[in-house]
Amino acid sequence: MHETAVANAVPAKRRKSRLDAGEGRTAFFFLLPSLIGVMLFLVFPIIASVVLSFTNWKLLGQPAFVGFANYTRLFTADPQFWPVLRNTLFFTAEYLVLNIIISLGLAVWISSLKMGQRWFRVIFFLPTFTPGIAVAIVWMLIFAPDGFFDFVMSSLSIHIPSMLTDQTLAMQAVIIVSLWAGVGYNTVLFNAALDMVPANYLEAARIDGASAWDRFWKIRLPLISPTLFFGTVMTAITSLQVFDQIYVMTRGGPGNATATLGYAIYQRGFQNFQMGYASAIAWVMFAMIMALTAFQFWLQRKWVHYDN
Amino acid sequence: MTTRAKAKADAQRTLALDILNHGALALVALLFLFPFFWMVSNAVRSNAEVLAIPVRILPNVYEWGNFAKAWSELPFGRFFLNSMIVSVSVTVITVVVSCLSGYAFARLKFPGRDQLLMAYLGTLMIPGIMLIIPLFLIVNNLGMVNTFQGVILPVAFGTFGSFLLRQFFLSIPLELEEAARIDGASRLRILVSIIVPLSMPAIGLLSLFTFIGQWNNFLWPLIVMTGSDNATLPVGLTYFQTQQGTAWNFIMAGAALSMIPGVILAIVLQKLIYNSIALNAGMGGR
Amino acid sequence: MKLSLILAGAALVGSSVFAIQVQAQDAPVNLTWQMWGDEKDTALWESLAALVTEEYPNITVTPQISGWTDYWTRLPVLASSGQIADLVAMQSMRMPSFYSILEPLNPHFEGDSFDLAPFEPSIISGLSHDGTSYALPYDVGPWLVFYNRDKFAEAGVAEPAPDWTFDDFKAAAQKLTSGENYGYATQAFDFIAGPVSLGAEYFNDANQFDLTNASYVADVGKFADLVAVDKASPVFASGAGATTASGRFASGNAAMYIDGPWSLISTQGAVDFKVGVAPLPRGEGESRFITAGSGWGISATSANKEAAYKALQVLTGPKAAEILASAGRALPGRLAEQSFWYDVAAKDISGTRETLEYSFEHATPFRLNENWNEFENLLTQYMPLALNGDSTTEAVLADIQSQLP
Repeated sequence: MHETAVANAVPAKRRKSRLDAGEGRTAFFFLLPSLIGVMLFLVFPIIASVVLSFTNWKLLGQPAFVGFANYTRLFTADPQFWPVLRNTLFFTAEYLVLNIIISLGLAVWISSLKMGQRWFRVIFFLPTFTPGIAVAIVWMLIFAPDGFFDFVMSSLSIHIPSMLTDQTLAMQAVIIVSLWAGVGYNTVLFNAALDMVPANYLEAARIDGASAWDRFWKIRLPLISPTLFFGTVMTAITSLQVFDQIYVMTRGGPGNATATLGYAIYQRGFQNFQMGYASAIAWVMFAMIMALTAFQFWLQRKWVHYDN
Repeated sequence: MTTRAKAKADAQRTLALDILNHGALALVALLFLFPFFWMVSNAVRSNAEVLAIPVRILPNVYEWGNFAKAWSELPFGRFFLNSMIVSVSVTVITVVVSCLSGYAFARLKFPGRDQLLMAYLGTLMIPGIMLIIPLFLIVNNLGMVNTFQGVILPVAFGTFGSFLLRQFFLSIPLELEEAARIDGASRLRILVSIIVPLSMPAIGLLSLFTFIGQWNNFLWPLIVMTGSDNATLPVGLTYFQTQQGTAWNFIMAGAALSMIPGVILAIVLQKLIYNSIALNAGMGGR
Repeated sequence: MKLSLILAGAALVGSSVFAIQVQAQDAPVNLTWQMWGDEKDTALWESLAALVTEEYPNITVTPQISGWTDYWTRLPVLASSGQIADLVAMQSMRMPSFYSILEPLNPHFEGDSFDLAPFEPSIISGLSHDGTSYALPYDVGPWLVFYNRDKFAEAGVAEPAPDWTFDDFKAAAQKLTSGENYGYATQAFDFIAGPVSLGAEYFNDANQFDLTNASYVADVGKFADLVAVDKASPVFASGAGATTASGRFASGNAAMYIDGPWSLISTQGAVDFKVGVAPLPRGEGESRFITAGSGWGISATSANKEAAYKALQVLTGPKAAEILASAGRALPGRLAEQSFWYDVAAKDISGTRETLEYSFEHATPFRLNENWNEFENLLTQYMPLALNGDSTTEAVLADIQSQLP
């Protein structure tokens, strides 16, 4: 009895480990295409970029190792670094908040309609399908000095400086364009989440006499909070990297009013050929993205409701 | 009488509010569409009129021929084809590779699985612009500069797809494939004949965003494709910016033309887009 | 890992150069030719390439064209990985950044006693670095004031004389400004070409930036005040600092702007009024003007340098210059063929020949160093602050100076 149990157990165990090995082998072959691609086109370039950030490579000519000089210069010597950091955080904060508010507002508004919901979704989604360069060029023409925007303002007798030549307004122009281009995805995302809130929950609350306002804050919002969280995290990651709009519309100006980390990387790396220095900036940006994402994950415990 | 009249008045008020509600959002949507109007309005005027002051909402002289000119002055047909080749190939590779790896992450046990998944997620936070130079050196060493594979391969192995599909595969009940396993079906067979058909919304979402992302991609094809016949659409648009100045009207015409596939996709696939994103919304918090 | 990759790449390129150079004289050679331009110009470049094959049947030249802005994004990337074409287009202002990727031409010149005398001397030096030639020019030109002759007549302003002063220029700009119309549309480069013609220098004797010297600050200030104080010009936006003035001019919104002869034909084609050109205004002293231009060089890593040198001579030869000049594409760097440009392409624009000849007579070396593009970009980015009154010229220049090495 005892012996048979052992005898039985051994092959079972062996079978299981063989099965595991088989699964491991299958997993290996399933992962292989992805792993080769990721190693070659992601991990390897990432390592190269880390190494680069410790060199003075100028794109043409031979690189030499300079230790932490790029990072030291960034934090202590570069007069532009802190304004650039400030601009990036300012952009991210304002853009993120407005994007979430506007797309949530639009999503709620669309879901309140009796008909035509899908057409409104298509309309707000259209910029997502438009090449970023084309979007930025159209808006540049709209905001150009004496362009359409200034024309409207002067027709309304509103006297404000031309957006793209004014130090404070230029960043607002960039944010408007980014919102126009970026709000659609979140609108559809939140709209879809709202549609998934069970109708009987809302009906029950209505019968209990909850106002529309209460129903929104106490039922719908908590129920879609996981989606809201997902949208916020993804939006934050992309907004820290903002580049296209700034490249076409302002080139970081006027002055350094719209110079962000994304643009600084392009400017140092591709315009001034300081690849080593640009790589160092990119790693600071990476650290910021990590920090912001971690912060959001920490914060989610306070407001995201998981329905388990 | 009073209750019926009251009900009627209520219904009328609701109807009025409804119309007002629709009308107001329609107004917002029209405002939102203005940049597209401005794009077309500037595409059909002379270049001097684009920057004319005072601003003209509509052109003085309509030059509808600008679309044809923008199309014929550059080999736009060729650019369209190039963009199509790149976008479709990247999409197909991404979907196939992500299905395989997503399945491995979702269903197969192997040492270091969770760590590898975390590493995949971590790469999503790397600023893409930084990888351009090292990537170009790799493409060059592989002898793929100015080739389609040089543009396609380096962008076809993003980790987002693996993660997205893993999340979706996890939501498919395990029992569905256990029956097939008992019948002796291989993992590949299970993936192809059971999991993939059930995952169409997620695969649709991944395809759509990969396609659009590549259709709009600018910097990478610009750097890899050195021959002018190999340019993709966004790169082709910049040929209108010359040392002598910028043909704004032609850029706008070209931009409008290059939007057509996206707009068609957005309208035709709106159901799929919504379903896919709804799915994303459902999975988002998990 | 990175370093070894680059070294391996460089070694690979190096070895292939030696391997391929040992080949028979007349074996067929295919040369690639990297050039900017729009597709309209393609036929023109191809006709030039055909000239090469006509002269040397074993050599074919294939142009690779990209847009102007992107040419400069792509070039360093291609160069850093040895993927550069055999023949490379180069603009004089970018030479200090890129000369290292080009083959020095002087040894080749000595080899066949090539004569540089038929070329405009200012552009030969513009396409050199430290006295060594790295490219031969196809075009050249000084910056000029383009003006709307109809507007001058309407406002009763006398058309400019070749030696007009800044005060004349300012008076004209003020008089031509009324309502929504400006006398002048400024752009970023004006704050380089303008002050130089007034007599200022942005470099010190060691060829390093010295933007805060009193005369440069004062002369930049003169041009800036036309915008900030006199409101005779609109402020340009940093994103399009180099492109909108020509649009304002073409639409009739601004009566004057500063550009080069390379834009003259396209400007003439885009407007429905009479265009005139004048030299830039001078200061107290003699007139002096900087010129720029472009040409083609041979890649330092080309495997076919001898064939490329032969092709280069044809591409910048008299016949090619005649084709480009007659088409209005370029005021040739070759002096003799400039007449084709004057007689064919610029025949409707008054004062072109006099203005250009006057400008070449008073040409001054265009001083550049390897941080030149950084300087130009920073001017585009920061100058609007001085133009809209948010800052002063002095503060803006000090800020730019602090960001330059």
